[in-house]
Amino acid sequence: MAGLLSRERIVAKPGFNRWLVPPAALAIHLSIGMAYGFSVFWLPLSRAYGITEPTPDDWKISTLGWMFTLFFVFLGSSAALFGAWVERVGPRKTAVVAAICWSGGFFISAVGVYVHEIWLLWLGSGVIGGCGLGLGYISPVGTLIKWFPDRRGMATGMAIMGFGGGAMIGAPLADILMKHFATPASVGVWQTFVAMGVIYFIAMMAGAFGYRVPPPDWMPAGWTPRPQQRAMITAGHVHVSRAWRTPQFWFLWMVLCMNVSAGIGVIGIASPMIQEIFGGRLIGASGTLQDLAPQQKAQLASIGAGFAALLSLFNIAGRIGWASFSDYIGRKRTYLIFFALGLALYSMAPTAGQTGGATLFVVIFCIILTMYGGGFATIPAYLADIFGTQYVGAIHGRLLTAWSTAGVLGPVLVNYIREYQIARGVPNAQAYNVTMYVLAGLLIIGLICNLLVKPVDRRFHMSPEELATARVAQGSRA
Amino acid sequence: MANRDGREKTGSNWVVVVLAWLPVTLPLLWGIWQTVKKAAVLFR
Repeated sequence: MAGLLSRERIVAKPGFNRWLVPPAALAIHLSIGMAYGFSVFWLPLSRAYGITEPTPDDWKISTLGWMFTLFFVFLGSSAALFGAWVERVGPRKTAVVAAICWSGGFFISAVGVYVHEIWLLWLGSGVIGGCGLGLGYISPVGTLIKWFPDRRGMATGMAIMGFGGGAMIGAPLADILMKHFATPASVGVWQTFVAMGVIYFIAMMAGAFGYRVPPPDWMPAGWTPRPQQRAMITAGHVHVSRAWRTPQFWFLWMVLCMNVSAGIGVIGIASPMIQEIFGGRLIGASGTLQDLAPQQKAQLASIGAGFAALLSLFNIAGRIGWASFSDYIGRKRTYLIFFALGLALYSMAPTAGQTGGATLFVVIFCIILTMYGGGFATIPAYLADIFGTQYVGAIHGRLLTAWSTAGVLGPVLVNYIREYQIARGVPNAQAYNVTMYVLAGLLIIGLICNLLVKPVDRRFHMSPEELATARVAQGSRA
Repeated sequence: MANRDGREKTGSNWVVVVLAWLPVTLPLLWGIWQTVKKAAVLFR
């Protein structure tokens, strides 16, 4: 079995078409991307006992919401801890372990729902599933970059677009399954967890067995690196154990952390924000959200949900769009656009909310969300440009701790500032203004860090002997 | 198979490529369609 999963076993044979690798990566990322859609379970789980109404024994939504924190923390931690292992054993074994963790998490959670023990959900989906997220997320990165040296951004963008799109498939699927399994005595969640665990296991195993790694030094026929990009694209390789000692690693860590903190903060408040800022204006009525009748509030809630859905579409479009665009303009310039344009848009948002129509406000946040998604999708290629391709998967894994940090920092910052403003007597509709300026401030920090990124000093590069040893250790010498 | 530069040619088994993409593209398009329907409320 070990042989079947080993790196040596999956070195591509001559004539292998590299376009077979992205769908394998997408199968993994579309499966683990369901992490973003877990909120679809909160409402049914909050009345698992009461079925139609929550009872005192039922879980609170705030208790269930801890799952998101666990996802982000264990995603980053596992990617950082096991990144070097991933490089050593290759993508197939990593994806198989990720499939076992992610699906196993669903099965443990199903038991947790059945016996009504919340710690089983946290352990199952949160901790074990979170480790599956981290391993699954980084499993294709190094491989795709090695297959597409000419289009690094586009290749990783395709996979990471899948992570953004996973919830678009998983959330409505979960909804259908819960309705199918619901009975007068059950909300149908544990059965849905079992069904989804099986579906994701099959999809991820198919992806794992679709992975192939290129032979060493493989390059697409007829391709040579473009001379104008060479200044920011290294020909050397930095070992993962040395990468984090370079200032470049920490500048890029800050770049990702600031970009994600700002975007994730917006995603978390998108629906209430548009409702509170525009109130009745969204449905042609007058008055703030609080002044409206219950039926009008329901209309606004549906508009809020629609706004959140629209943002998620722009999020995935940005992943493939910006990452592909970065292949032409370079990674540093792409992030320069993210931070400069983001800064302008965040600064404009309060004015658009007060004076402009809802259309301008929606357009601003749609563009912001493309850059949030684009930031995730472009960072692996940026790392490959700066640190080389040999350990890019492991280095990317360590950098994902920035995501874990941002996953806590962004929402905490946004919610704290909003509550502080409201406590000071600022009307709900204006409570987001300072938040937007603070998020713009985060982008200034990101902009500075991005400007400070320079090529890595050659003393950090691996020597030819070290590189040869590393390749033998990885078993990729064909 | 190598070309004049001694580099590996990219394979040309495009039917297999299309078949490999279908199982990921179709669910993704379905998911996007579900999201578009939800977002459409903004434009009514």
